[in-house]
Amino acid sequence: MSSISKNVKPHGFIARHPEIGVLASFFSIALIFIVRVPDKFLTVPTLYSILTLAGELGVASIGIAFLMITGEFNLSISSVYALVPMGVVLMVNLWGVDMLAASIIMLLVAYGIGVTVGYIAIKTGIPSFISSLGMMMFLRGILLAVTGGFPVRLERDHWLTYVLNGPIGELGLRTSAVWLLVLTAIFAFILDWTPYGNWTYAVGASSNTARELGVSVSKVKLTNFGISSLLAGLAGLMALSRFRVVDPTLGQGLELETITSAVLGGCLLTGGYGSISGTFLGAFLIAMTRVGLVLAQAPAYWYSAFIGIILIIATVINLFIVKKYVTSG
Amino acid sequence: MSQQKTSPTTKTLVLAIIALIIGAIIGYGFAATTMVPYSKYAELEEKLKQAGGGAPSAPEYTFYYVSHGGPADPWWAPVIKGSQDAAKLLNVKVVYSGPEKFSVQALVDLLNSAIAARPNGIILTITDYNALDQPARSAISQGIPIIAVNVPDPRPANQRIPYLSYIGQNEYDAGYYLAKYLVDKGYKPKRVVIGIHEVGHIGLETRAKGITDAITQAYPGTPVEKLDITTDPTKAAEVFKSYLTAHPDTDVIFTLGPLGAHPALQVLREMKLTGKVHLLTIDIDDTILKAIDAGELDAAVSQQPYAQGFLPVVFMYLYVKYGIIPPPQVPTGPTVIDKARLETVRKQIATTGGA
Repeated sequence: MSSISKNVKPHGFIARHPEIGVLASFFSIALIFIVRVPDKFLTVPTLYSILTLAGELGVASIGIAFLMITGEFNLSISSVYALVPMGVVLMVNLWGVDMLAASIIMLLVAYGIGVTVGYIAIKTGIPSFISSLGMMMFLRGILLAVTGGFPVRLERDHWLTYVLNGPIGELGLRTSAVWLLVLTAIFAFILDWTPYGNWTYAVGASSNTARELGVSVSKVKLTNFGISSLLAGLAGLMALSRFRVVDPTLGQGLELETITSAVLGGCLLTGGYGSISGTFLGAFLIAMTRVGLVLAQAPAYWYSAFIGIILIIATVINLFIVKKYVTSG
Repeated sequence: MSQQKTSPTTKTLVLAIIALIIGAIIGYGFAATTMVPYSKYAELEEKLKQAGGGAPSAPEYTFYYVSHGGPADPWWAPVIKGSQDAAKLLNVKVVYSGPEKFSVQALVDLLNSAIAARPNGIILTITDYNALDQPARSAISQGIPIIAVNVPDPRPANQRIPYLSYIGQNEYDAGYYLAKYLVDKGYKPKRVVIGIHEVGHIGLETRAKGITDAITQAYPGTPVEKLDITTDPTKAAEVFKSYLTAHPDTDVIFTLGPLGAHPALQVLREMKLTGKVHLLTIDIDDTILKAIDAGELDAAVSQQPYAQGFLPVVFMYLYVKYGIIPPPQVPTGPTVIDKARLETVRKQIATTGGA
């Protein structure tokens, strides 16, 4: 980022904040709901409800945003989102493994899957879109084959479920929301304030330049593949902790929804540019639209149309900003 | 309505036919091994002896079971089991194929591949009659008979795909009788919400319409609304929560499958509304039965999926082998399960893997 902002001094602020586009959409949508249903929309339980809805999606989206800034995709996260909790439930139910130990094992597996997807893409030169698409279908097939299509149920109670997704107070706040906020802060810090974040931007913007500058391109990419998979697994554990049931179809469609949040939040599909706080806002915006439309008593079926329009408008704004302020220098 | 009245007789008829077939098979097998064939059927008996003797011989016929229910949907597991059990009993081969994720295009593709394989019969869910019309008619014109299961062609008889029979639940009735169960108990709902987890799925929309009609016929003017809850549990839970916040007078929730019932149940527990807000659902699994037992869920409709796998294979076999034309419709439900019927359903689950 620093290398980019040097070239665009006059408009440095806007260029350094890819979340401007999503903020604009965010406020205009929020305004609609505030005007339509002020008494129901502007309440603490509604805020908590939105944060809960954004929780799992947001956590998975952070990893995807990080990876997209590196210039790569990982569609397999939607299957990892179901695989990790499924593995944990099977280990706990069948072998009596402690849930914490099972979770750590499965998260390591998730990290490994992410790295594998990246390794295949980098070593063979096929796009990660394809290698992760293949992995997504492969893992989903395994999930279905192992369970025979039936949901599995977590039979034992464990303190970890309260830590991952337990209620806080009576108003609907859940620990999943806290996880989302904390992870957003941590990853935003890593991206914008550490050398590793700089490498991530550099690899995404131009991997050749990054290599010449001494950055280990494949190491950065593989780590980010691993992180995206790990965070998806963690999000899956959060879903498990609340419902105690894992359906083998859990997470289908998540791969595109996370990309939607990341793109809403200012990430470019081509890499090199993006924001973690923007991605958080993207996930929050998606959740807010869903909750807001129900509260506004809008016909239930309009949600998808609404999100589609928001996605296009926000992306146009983002692209405009990038063209005008980032690449012009 | 009339089909509901005839359904017990039809069911008995169906059971009688199955018993006959099974009896006949066992009987023939028995006769072939113990008796000297001496009748005008001697030749046939001899043939059957050759066919049935020794290790399992090559399947007599091949049927394709093409359905929108992929291996992903646990509801279809007993259907698949039923179709394979019937295939084993009758010594036919049943190839089951369904898309991994609900997709009409994938269903059409699967149907086309099934036709290309030139089977002796196709068992098909008419999930989207527009998309399936052309390939299904082409199969029939090529001499491949079709039996519809699970979802019928809703058009009038002279326009619909000319399949032999429809075997399954009438989706409209499933919703209608579930809601009627509540009405018949004398409950007058203030506000009803229907959580629909796959919007645009014609079967689910028809269920919802049945529910709406039953409520509004009994109590005109009662608000009944549909809610898009998606198949994701977190989204479903928060959407239900938002709806209950926006409409605190809601006292009845209908869901159209376990993917809606699980999160609805969880939300009612979290909001401490179980028992206060009535929850009714279509289709059954372990969690739902436990909730009925605990009084957290009023009732659920079972459409006895095993029968939807088993019966079409039997009917197709009878048609292909003997030219027996099945009745135009064979219902397998709806049966409303409440606390009083739990035991019977548990038996069905233990023996067939689902209800």
